[in-house]
Amino acid sequence: MAFTMRAVKVPPNSASLEEARHRVFDFFKQACRSIPTVMEIYNLEDVVTPAQLRSSIAKQIRQNQSITNPKVIDMLLFKGTEELNNIVEHAKQRHHVIGQYVIGEQGLLQETGSKDQASSEFLKKFYTSNYF
Amino acid sequence: MGPVRHGKQETIEKVCEIVKNQLALAEGTTVTGETKFVDIGADSLDTVEIVMGLEEAFNITVDESSAQEIQTVDDAAALIDKLVSEKDA
Repeated sequence: MAFTMRAVKVPPNSASLEEARHRVFDFFKQACRSIPTVMEIYNLEDVVTPAQLRSSIAKQIRQNQSITNPKVIDMLLFKGTEELNNIVEHAKQRHHVIGQYVIGEQGLLQETGSKDQASSEFLKKFYTSNYF
Repeated sequence: MGPVRHGKQETIEKVCEIVKNQLALAEGTTVTGETKFVDIGADSLDTVEIVMGLEEAFNITVDESSAQEIQTVDDAAALIDKLVSEKDA
């Protein structure tokens, strides 16, 4: 059982924030383009749509959007690329992918639209994240 | 052949639809050919995400340099029309 590891050469550090930004977008595009493969591998057709996967990837990228140090960004990109490689080469299992990217804090992302009508706006924001 | 900056109406409408869904805009928000992505609250990551959504919907691949040029809905529609016709050629 050989893991077909993609080349894990670490590219030199980004020279500037601008270059790091480009790398983030390239990574995001690469991830989006692997979405059909991922859906095929883990049989996610009935569970989630590609658009939802795209937005959960974007959500994770956006969590770090305020970082200004290019080296930190490179490190985060390295971790992201590693995660993407793991998922695409089927080193993860279906429940990992579903738990991490399909189900949000409150259950399946597409089904939770109408549940929390009683709670206030403040509480909704409070439950989703620390920063609002 | 000069630069084609206007997309077909049908393409523009489809793009508007995808953009509205992507950015979760309120029902009454008007999105037209001239609407710039930044004006409707899309940051750069949103723009890339919209371009990827368009890639999927129209079954095309947008390269890096063309993606940089996209500022308005019309730019996106024009690029889509160009890529679709190149694909079918």
